Amino acid sequence: MAGRTIVITSGKGGVGKTTTVANIGTALAKKGHSVVLLDADIGLRNLDVVMGLENRIVYNLVDIVEGKCRKEQAMIRDRKLPSLHIVPSAQTREKDAVQPDQMKALCAELAEEFDYVLIDCPAGIERGFKNAVAGAEAAIVVTTPEVSAIRDADRVIGLLEANLLRDIHLIVNRMNLRMVKQGDMMSTNDIVSLLAVPLIGVVPESGEVVISTNRGIPLVHQKGSEAGRAFSNIAARLDGEGVPLEDDHKKSFMERVKDFLWS
Amino acid sequence: MFGVFRRLWGEKKSGDVARERMRFVLMHDRLDLTPEVLEKIKNDILAVLSRYMDIDQNTLQVDFKQGKDYAALMSNVHVKRVYRKEDGTEASEEA
Repeated sequence: MAGRTIVITSGKGGVGKTTTVANIGTALAKKGHSVVLLDADIGLRNLDVVMGLENRIVYNLVDIVEGKCRKEQAMIRDRKLPSLHIVPSAQTREKDAVQPDQMKALCAELAEEFDYVLIDCPAGIERGFKNAVAGAEAAIVVTTPEVSAIRDADRVIGLLEANLLRDIHLIVNRMNLRMVKQGDMMSTNDIVSLLAVPLIGVVPESGEVVISTNRGIPLVHQKGSEAGRAFSNIAARLDGEGVPLEDDHKKSFMERVKDFLWS
Repeated sequence: MFGVFRRLWGEKKSGDVARERMRFVLMHDRLDLTPEVLEKIKNDILAVLSRYMDIDQNTLQVDFKQGKDYAALMSNVHVKRVYRKEDGTEASEEA
């Protein structure tokens, strides 16, 4: 049975696409799935450093497409999880080194071998985006609770739907519940109703993310990390588990007592 | 503390401001109406209405409102007088 190919995209840069790919991919592999992460950001290679695999690269995505190597030669196995692989992007090539058709073929081949193919899409809506989307059958749009990220996410959702990619889910990244409570940040509900796409998870803003990328170890490996747990939950939902969605409103002790008494 | 003062002065919370702004921006983005097209729509509305009534052209407003699953075009204009003819047919333009 063929695996699922999912593109992680956002329109705007710097909202956490690569972090999301690294963490969801790692979480899925931890659950026992075979996973390959495809860095489609040609010219701006990043997934390898976030995964801590930067010094193992020999071949890359463009080499596979150009037939300079077999795809197995370009795939790098994760240090901790043997069922997790990444295909690094080329650092010194242009976006047009790859055609959408070639990406489609590569994704289809990878989906034959792996349960999940996660594609890390570059920022923007030009050639790189079209390449990254070409081989995907589903999409996860990452946004943050900021006006610029939300506007770009809306544009990307429109483009995906125009490409007949209708299986779209939303991740709200860097949510700051304290600011939402103060009324100085749009809530998850606000964002979901603006974008009109089903939510698959909310990731709280956290300094842990920077620390984990500094070390090149995805946050889902770290026990007790709230953001890491949010990513693990997203992976579980993607995998069909009925994990309830996080709520903006953190219940106080008294509210929890009340819930307990009434239940 | 500042939040209390801000609310006393009737200042909206920035999260609410952001939501309202985005509602408007996304609606316009999705409709893909350029200011030029909007201007043409305004002129056409004026032209049609002027055939039937005397209107204050400067008061014409065209806005979009977002419903739950639709966008509505709202147009407001001050009417000075509706043209009438004894036989009930449409009046010719006065200008």
